[in-house]
Amino acid sequence: MATEKSVYHIGKPFAAMDDDVMRPIEAFPTKLWWGAFSVSAALALLGVGTILYSFAVGLGIFAINNPVGWGFFIVNFVFWVGIGHAGTLISAILFLFRQKWRTSINRAAEAMTIFAVIVAAIFPAIHIGRPWFVFWAFPYPNERGPLWANFRSPLLWDLFAISTYFSVSLIFWYMGLVPDFATLRDRFERYKAKSKLGDILLQMKALTYKALALGWVGSAKTWHHYEKMVMLLSALATPLVLSVHTIVSFDFATSVIPGWHATIFPPYFVAGAIYSGFAMVLTLMIITREVFKLKEYITLKHLENMAIVILVTGMMVSFAYTVEFVMAAYSASHVEQYAFINRLKGPFAWAFWIMFTCNVVSPHFMWFKSLRTNIKVLFVISIVVNIGMWFERFVIVIISLHRDYLPSSWDTYNPTWADYAVLVGSFGIFFTLFLMFIRTIPSIALAEVKADEANAALSHH
Amino acid sequence: MLSIAEIKRGLFSYEEVSGGFVASFKSAGELLKAAEKTRQANVKQFDCFSPCPIHGMDKAMGLNRSWIPVLTFIGGIMAIVLGLAYIIYIDVFNWPIVFGGKPFFSWPAYVPILFELAIYFASVFTVVGVLVLGRLGFINRKPPVKGVTSDVFAIWLGDKNLTRSDVERILSGLNAQIEEVKS
Repeated sequence: MATEKSVYHIGKPFAAMDDDVMRPIEAFPTKLWWGAFSVSAALALLGVGTILYSFAVGLGIFAINNPVGWGFFIVNFVFWVGIGHAGTLISAILFLFRQKWRTSINRAAEAMTIFAVIVAAIFPAIHIGRPWFVFWAFPYPNERGPLWANFRSPLLWDLFAISTYFSVSLIFWYMGLVPDFATLRDRFERYKAKSKLGDILLQMKALTYKALALGWVGSAKTWHHYEKMVMLLSALATPLVLSVHTIVSFDFATSVIPGWHATIFPPYFVAGAIYSGFAMVLTLMIITREVFKLKEYITLKHLENMAIVILVTGMMVSFAYTVEFVMAAYSASHVEQYAFINRLKGPFAWAFWIMFTCNVVSPHFMWFKSLRTNIKVLFVISIVVNIGMWFERFVIVIISLHRDYLPSSWDTYNPTWADYAVLVGSFGIFFTLFLMFIRTIPSIALAEVKADEANAALSHH
Repeated sequence: MLSIAEIKRGLFSYEEVSGGFVASFKSAGELLKAAEKTRQANVKQFDCFSPCPIHGMDKAMGLNRSWIPVLTFIGGIMAIVLGLAYIIYIDVFNWPIVFGGKPFFSWPAYVPILFELAIYFASVFTVVGVLVLGRLGFINRKPPVKGVTSDVFAIWLGDKNLTRSDVERILSGLNAQIEEVKS
């Protein structure tokens, strides 16, 4: 315990911590923020514009065809859901394992989860072709027959998994924010607006945070129930997050497509999700700590820990790739065997080799302490890993679909401008949401950081 | 018998900090000791206020075990039972159709959905439980002293018969700043 305290101990007065964490919210945004925001908002507009255009003219602007009916939509969907998993891992699983270092990255990682799931949910909605009927997927009593959803379909399981995951993550995140919103609410007294308009805006802002704080006063009688809730929600979110990517993998594994029909898919997908999610947390945390001067809270040690998680999950993913090949070789099914030869040598072999280089080779740089404590190296690797993980989903979806059983049904897949626009737009939407989050919501879980500091002091006296 | 009004008051109102005294401290450790002493001095109406949860505070204040886990359990079980009943109604009675040669009641396929429903309702029950039992949602509620959401640790002693010297005696030996609260 003693060593842990010395590494993660911030050792500042609580009021100074408030100032540090609230600074991005209270100060006028920097030029860097405006620059980043303009770029991501422009990309987001491109994505949203393309999506709206596709609603007007139909799915023909995308490259999906027969046999590659899933295309970029499902590649992006699985990619973004996977990104989300690291947030829950940090907020729930590392909480249950009493990993103190999670505290200061918890809030931003969970925000990332929520935004990633929002972005992910866009893709199946476009993919169904008539998104204005998306509510038909929910099993509610209706006047279309009786006509119900099919409870035996993994796609319906997925709907339940993603909506539960989003709702539970959102309420978990919001409840964690309530004490910090109260801190923010009580800071508004000190501000004076210079103009009349400024005053109205300030009042509106103060009222918003007051409402969000739910009348939190830090009463021990509330903390008493609140702490139980944090523990229980973590215990619920842990199996939930594992179930979500398990169910996403069922979308593939319960089908008969060669390369998909494998029992290793659930653990393989979960490991991949944590791998890419941690890489994304690393990218975002490096940016956040540099831009918003939060280096005392998000230390090099935090980044190093995340790098180690990336190394471990990266090796799990590599292991899963190997197992897939061994199973195919051993399956005595020439269709299954061909699916994997096609990965290595087929028209999309370049995608496989990008995936292999990024996911299997690059995490091994993390064995060296000098590299995993070098921020530039970490930043590059974190992006490389996510490129690799996007291509992993590309390999799974596109390569398996474009050549399955009957050679007469084989075809190729050429993404159109619209596919790329929506892909780039998804990053735009994600980063726009994240940048707005940093400006409006305490990006470090203050009450939790304070609890760690206060209780460490208690146990040392 | 409890009347509806009493239940409403019990569940949907909060203890107003009015009258009595508030003592503020600079550290969690002192507040913990203060809570312990206040409870031992047999003060009936008191509460602590802090910017963060403090380990051992439940014990120091003599709070009962939280009911939240019971609510979580009820939410989860309820979701499974009602969800299963709904699916059986649909798949067996209202729309019995053979999918992939499986029986109308094919329970293994329902496991993922029931699992997600259980998690969802258990979480919602937990959070609603905290909102109600933790007395959240009264947005005009104000902290008893400034700074308890930042760096002040405070205890409120609300018994009517307490005088300033009583409070000083109870909290003797601690570095407390004592203020009277207007009622």
